Amino acid sequence: MTNVAVDILLALAVLLELACVAGVLFMPTTFDRLHYAGAAATVPAFLVLAAVLCREHLSGGGLEAIAAVALLFFLFPVLLTSTARAIARVERKESS
Amino acid sequence: MNAFVWAAIGLLVPFFPLLAVAVWRRPIDGLVALECAGALLVLVLLCLAEGFHRSFEYAVAIVAALMTWIGGLVFARFLGRWL
Repeated sequence: MTNVAVDILLALAVLLELACVAGVLFMPTTFDRLHYAGAAATVPAFLVLAAVLCREHLSGGGLEAIAAVALLFFLFPVLLTSTARAIARVERKESS
Repeated sequence: MNAFVWAAIGLLVPFFPLLAVAVWRRPIDGLVALECAGALLVLVLLCLAEGFHRSFEYAVAIVAALMTWIGGLVFARFLGRWL
């Protein structure tokens, strides 16, 4: 039962990451691409974390996996905001 | 090979199109691709740590998450100011 859950969680995570990368590749504007890059650090990361926790539970490895995904989830919005500002500046310079 | 190793391989595949974006498109689009690749890298490292049962590799994933953040901030600052 645990193996099936892990397989499903990992398959969903990989599919969602592929969708996010497809968004980064094919969306028309840079802000749209940034939106998809941000999505890559949210739902798929938690799916991988859930799969790891199915195996590790709350052992040392499980806690470190929680720390890695928490860092990704809480720090990425700061990075996205900073990148969005840079995009706005670059596009303002290009249009002027 | 278990499910985690297969997932890591599946997550490694999108690095190539992201590399193409970083090489061929504008630098600011490359930064977006770099950030997406950073998020992917953390997940790949988590999958490999669990897949090979090496607990120290979880620490590598934590460091990768931090370095992705710091590197992305530096590049965003640089590109916003000087491009």
